[in-house]
Amino acid sequence: MPGQLLSSVADGIVVAAILSVAAMGFTLQFGLTNVLNLSFGSVMTIGGFTAYLLEAARVNPWLGLLLGGAAGAVATVVLGRGVLRQYARRRTQLFEMMMVTLGMSLVIDYSIQAISQNSIYSYTVLQAAPVHLGSIVLTPVQVGIVILAIVILVVAEAALKFTKMGKALRATAVEPSLARSCGIQTGRVVLITWLASGFLCGLAGVVYIISTQSVDYTTGELFLPLIIAAAILGGVGSLKGAVGASLVIGIVTEVVAGLGAGGYSTVAGFAILVVVLLLRPGAVIAGDEDRQLVL
Amino acid sequence: MSAWGFYVATLLIYFAVDLLSGIALNLQFGYAGVVNFGYIVFQAVGAYVAAVVTLGPSLGAGSYQQYILGAHLPFPLDLLAATAAGALLSLLVGLFSLRRMRRDYQAAVLLIVSLIALQVVSADVPLFNGSNGLTGVGWPLGQLFGVTATQSPWLYTVWSLVVVAVVFVGVSWLSRSPWGRSLRAMRDNQGAASAMGLNITSLRLQVFVIGGAIAGLSGGLLVEYIGAWSPGAWGYAETFVIFTAIFVGGVGNYRGVVLGVLLVPVIFLEIPRFLPAIGYPGLTASLEWVVIGLAWMLCIFFRPRGILPERRLHVTPPGALEPGALQPEAAPR
Repeated sequence: MPGQLLSSVADGIVVAAILSVAAMGFTLQFGLTNVLNLSFGSVMTIGGFTAYLLEAARVNPWLGLLLGGAAGAVATVVLGRGVLRQYARRRTQLFEMMMVTLGMSLVIDYSIQAISQNSIYSYTVLQAAPVHLGSIVLTPVQVGIVILAIVILVVAEAALKFTKMGKALRATAVEPSLARSCGIQTGRVVLITWLASGFLCGLAGVVYIISTQSVDYTTGELFLPLIIAAAILGGVGSLKGAVGASLVIGIVTEVVAGLGAGGYSTVAGFAILVVVLLLRPGAVIAGDEDRQLVL
Repeated sequence: MSAWGFYVATLLIYFAVDLLSGIALNLQFGYAGVVNFGYIVFQAVGAYVAAVVTLGPSLGAGSYQQYILGAHLPFPLDLLAATAAGALLSLLVGLFSLRRMRRDYQAAVLLIVSLIALQVVSADVPLFNGSNGLTGVGWPLGQLFGVTATQSPWLYTVWSLVVVAVVFVGVSWLSRSPWGRSLRAMRDNQGAASAMGLNITSLRLQVFVIGGAIAGLSGGLLVEYIGAWSPGAWGYAETFVIFTAIFVGGVGNYRGVVLGVLLVPVIFLEIPRFLPAIGYPGLTASLEWVVIGLAWMLCIFFRPRGILPERRLHVTPPGALEPGALQPEAAPR
């Protein structure tokens, strides 16, 4: 049984790695712009399908991973600048903006459904024989995903702490008008955030389909609630928090699945969020109504 | 009965059920500002309960369907049970999800609740027969007169329109009452409303439970006509069809709701049936959703308050002067 538990925990860490790549992108975006972006999952699907198409065209899978991320970045900038900004000009409020992103996600998802003929495509790249470490069985790709997540966390944290753009981003997230009057070009900061978070989103899409080995139009949408849960649980805008929350959710879901209740594994992940809301409402209330859109 | 008659009757019944949903969501969202992205769960629980209390005792694990609460309840009790189930579940969900938090978080939490419920019901077969769902549901009111819903769809149409009319009268009376005005006050300015002594948390819970009860009733009404219910019938996207309807029609007033429900779930989703088939099977369905998404976005862009926006509320307290009576000698133009 301890062996079983250990292997569940290892699987949980892999799930957490995938989740945390997405959650870092989401929390970065949400923390700065204050838009609860429900089209995030759809952009993940775009990243995944890009990687699939590149794979079909025999492009190197690692390059496919990068280009999938790039596709996510481009899509996010197009949506952020081309759509959300237009709504912001018409003084659409925070909540209505979430409704807009919901509309975008319907349009993207079902366009993909129409183009992909509503089929599931198998995506089997970078598969290799699993490595046994005692009771833990991991494939090299899974190890790679975990390393990737750690690298992203370290690089992103360092970029936020030490680079000029990172400092500008944190300043804008805290107080946009003050940042603007200090000479920070908030428009550029937002653009960079769309790019970076979109890249992480696309990347997460590819990493996710590498792990599930298939892609269809619901890929990102089904993953999105877990991403939102991780971002809220970790504290909005905190990369470390997002990773920590991803670890909790990932390990709990896999341990529950390992105990033989497969149908309830995701439920357990969500239940954590609900429990946190029940026990510590203060954790999520901070900064109630006075938040403003930064676009 | 001609195929056309059957089709029109079915359409009217769907209209009635969607109108109930529209009324419930409009009360919650349009009047009180509570964003219920888990609406469909409360309709689903009503449908399940109405199904099991009319199907008779469960035949157990070996049979083709198993469920809890199996009984043979006579006419008014089946729909009352569905209504009560919707109310009870929304009370439970509301108790933890309606805490004071950002509206977008709240919406996300209710969306997650909707997903959790779907997964639990699909995974837990003894509850409501898992992902296969329940079939063979009858119509207790019809049985009193020895008819079934599918034999006499017009009778069922009349019945469902009567139910809608009763609910409509009740809810529009509620929303014109002082209680309804306090809902609008809460929606428009929470701080001011609670400073006036309104208990925000309790008001939100009240409106959530009333909406949940209507949702349960609508589920019962629907399942007794179509005779079957399964997780496939209540995906979270169904909630957004109704949301789109009230958004397009106009939030916070009933003319808008009726127009929206007529436009979006009824006319709009039925038009593709009459268009020539294009592409592979299922393409039209995907494009339908794309157009719904676009309609939703365009509506927020061009008519954020809907085609028929809410009218401003003018309340003249008894004994008060007519507006403008106090400045008779205003500067001549």
